[in-house]
Amino acid sequence: MTAAAAHVWRVALLALVYAASPSLAAAQSLTVRAAGDMLQVRGTGLRLIEGAVADHLKDGRSVRVDFEMTILDKAAQGAAVTQNRQSFTLSFDLWEQRYAVTRAGSPLRSISHLLARDAEAWCLENMAIPITAIGRFARDLPFWVRVEYRVQDQPPQVETESPFTLRTLIEALSRRRPDETPGRTLEAGPFRIGN
Amino acid sequence: MRILTLLLLCILSAPAPPAGAQDSEPADGAPIESAEVLGFPADELSPGLRRDIDGLAGKPLARPDVTQLARRIEEERPEVVVAVRIDARDGGGVRVFFVVARISDDAGLGSNINARYVVESVEIEGLKEHEISAALRDRLQALVGTRLDPAVADTLVEELKAERPGYVVARRIERGTRPGQIRVVFKFSETEGLRWIPFAKPRSKYVYHSDAGWSGLQDIPIGQRDQRVTLGFAMDDNDTLVEEYSGVRVRFEHRHIGTERIAASLEASWLNNTWRAPTLAALEANPLVAEPYRQRITVEPSLTVALARHVRASGGVSLSSLESLHDSPDSQMASAVTGSLVYSQRWDRDRRMRQSVEAGYDVRASADGLGSDLSYTRHLGHARYEFEGGHSNIIADAFGGGITGGAPLFERFTLGDSATLRGWNKFDLAPIGGNRVFHSSLEYRFYGAALFLDSGSVWESGGRRDLRASTGFGYHNDNLFVTVAFPLNAPDAGATFMIGVRF
Repeated sequence: MTAAAAHVWRVALLALVYAASPSLAAAQSLTVRAAGDMLQVRGTGLRLIEGAVADHLKDGRSVRVDFEMTILDKAAQGAAVTQNRQSFTLSFDLWEQRYAVTRAGSPLRSISHLLARDAEAWCLENMAIPITAIGRFARDLPFWVRVEYRVQDQPPQVETESPFTLRTLIEALSRRRPDETPGRTLEAGPFRIGN
Repeated sequence: MRILTLLLLCILSAPAPPAGAQDSEPADGAPIESAEVLGFPADELSPGLRRDIDGLAGKPLARPDVTQLARRIEEERPEVVVAVRIDARDGGGVRVFFVVARISDDAGLGSNINARYVVESVEIEGLKEHEISAALRDRLQALVGTRLDPAVADTLVEELKAERPGYVVARRIERGTRPGQIRVVFKFSETEGLRWIPFAKPRSKYVYHSDAGWSGLQDIPIGQRDQRVTLGFAMDDNDTLVEEYSGVRVRFEHRHIGTERIAASLEASWLNNTWRAPTLAALEANPLVAEPYRQRITVEPSLTVALARHVRASGGVSLSSLESLHDSPDSQMASAVTGSLVYSQRWDRDRRMRQSVEAGYDVRASADGLGSDLSYTRHLGHARYEFEGGHSNIIADAFGGGITGGAPLFERFTLGDSATLRGWNKFDLAPIGGNRVFHSSLEYRFYGAALFLDSGSVWESGGRRDLRASTGFGYHNDNLFVTVAFPLNAPDAGATFMIGVRF
């Protein structure tokens, strides 16, 4: 079997495993809780530190990620009740093999020695919204939460000829423009402060 | 206190970590006179950790234990980093300092936690060191022995790019050979644009044309920097020629024949041909045009020389055996000497703006010496200009050609497919193609939404020449197209739908 054929089989097998794994697709979830007078969001399945971002970090580079958290009065196309935007800088400590995160703005906050999922969770925790900002929804009305993030720093693209593989075909069909940034959106609800 | 801490961190040449040790430090085993935490209130540490730090006093120095305590401070207070400093005392003893700094108090650490480490070495990959100017090499080496400053390292990446255009430069850092130290690696990756002679463009495509149906070509290139083998499979491809063909081909390419400026290739193909009814009917009515064939076997060796950075000349032969459709197994040979001259250049002003130009001339002339049964000469000139700026693209393309003599059907020109005179059907326009052609196309894209205007004509020398035009819209990117096109000067202006991928 040639290297190209082996690669095709490997990618096909990975795609099959991924498609057959409902836990991977369904593992995203958001929960909210009131911490004092702040509304804190926790999430799983953010999938920020993986793939190219994880590779970039493990090359000792840092990655800036812009988060936007929106409280909605309805699912999907609901109106924004309040919004919080925050930038974080992630890096990976090569000797400790742990992630560090710094929240931009004033005051700066930083943390290190985190596992990938803990680093993602720390970003969310540091986007808490004052409960007073959600107005009447603080009084037991249902609301929805949308979390979006965009990765701003990308490794340079090396232009190569593209031997055909399933991966290159998929990449070719979904090729981003150089100035586009990868990201993700999670939305969940309904939540109530009383919950 | 904050300033004092930062000052201390800067003074310490090895601000780190856990395990960071320095050449001039006292040897293990020296008695520890005292252990202190600087830059952070010790009473904010857990009682157990404070006790263990205080307990160092009186013990012999063991760096792993000190390192472990530094790590415990960081784990207990993840908002800080800790550097260990060990000072020798006159009496042979040592004092141990845990110098603590908040990450958020240091812009470098905040942007990259590895800024706490000292650069052990700077390395270059993908390029020989002497290919970089001495001044820039010196600046790279000046990083050694200092704490990593990501901003400075990124500036050096930009300077390296400016000095070696055509390369992609990426920076990465790795653990050094000693704990707490790192290696900075600047990696150069050669882009295809730097090569004197590019490999043949991939021809893979899957196309649906509402008049002509499905066509498929799949190239599978396998190879390395200088050599490549491409396996090709054709599946009912009727998109570009008057014939429809299926079969396989294999292409060998070597683009370093003693020098990068000389390349050789050999392509062989075995194709089975079928013909549309309009083509067969038109052939019956035009006995002077070469006959159709059921199988085409072709061998094409060629040699390419890069005359200059952007100019290439190629020469070779093309030997085709055409098994007659009506009188099988009789066959004809269509053998030609081939030549081409190509100019191509690309200008990248920045990531958002680029322009490219390609222009060329191809000639294929049958040669008695190669045993050709068909006598002909085919000329084709082509030019293409592409502009990409922001989210806009402009593509202007034109070609024109002529054939003298009786060329085989695969050499005849056609228009009216997924790339030329979109909106027209080539089997309506010229089912056996023509021996003269002219075509131009102008396309504008904005965020992939495309508008285009095609015009051209394919005709028989001495015959009637009708200029046709078409327009349309769709979604086009580098690989995918979805197009609705309309002929502009046809009696029946029905729409043509095309969708496909090219890669």
